[in-house]
Amino acid sequence: MAKLKIRRNPTRRYEVVYIFDTALEDAVIAEKLEKIQSLLALGEPAEIEHWGRRELAYKIGRHENGYYIISRFVTDPKTLPEFERALKLEDAVIRHLITLYEHELGAPELSDEEMALRRRSDDDDDDDDEE
Amino acid sequence: MARQKKPCPITEAGIRYVDYKDDRLLARFITDYGKILPSRLSGVDARHQRQLSRAIKRARFLALLPYVKGQTG
Repeated sequence: MAKLKIRRNPTRRYEVVYIFDTALEDAVIAEKLEKIQSLLALGEPAEIEHWGRRELAYKIGRHENGYYIISRFVTDPKTLPEFERALKLEDAVIRHLITLYEHELGAPELSDEEMALRRRSDDDDDDDDEE
Repeated sequence: MARQKKPCPITEAGIRYVDYKDDRLLARFITDYGKILPSRLSGVDARHQRQLSRAIKRARFLALLPYVKGQTG
């Protein structure tokens, strides 16, 4: 019997990468990040990773460097359109990307035999994760 | 004669999910001009090739990888 999975909890796990303008002071960036993140009204605080300043692979407008910050959090998808709108209006963020971050919940780790089996058969597995 | 199939380098490395932020890994699967390397050359299996392709495109958008490499001017 096919079981229909009903999500009682509508929240999903996301990951956002922000690229901030490097002309700004670190303190200003931290403050802006705080402000942006506060729009999400998160239940539990986001996991934030600072990559810091890094050269861009190509110029974005006049920018050659960017300050990368990665943030992971759980939120209701309904909060995202408003969040993204605010992000687009924020001049300090030169680029951002919001992705679903649920792949760690996906397929379980494969054992060695399963891995070998997979290598032999040219199988086509399902594709997880999408925007 | 059937050609020996190459083992998938991503599976071999024990990578379950290809992360778009791992630009050092992704850089191994693009050509000198920045194009995505075909799986027939790299030996990547279909599942990982799809993950790779998406990851490379995301990494390009985030300026972690170039769209075109080695251009002059």
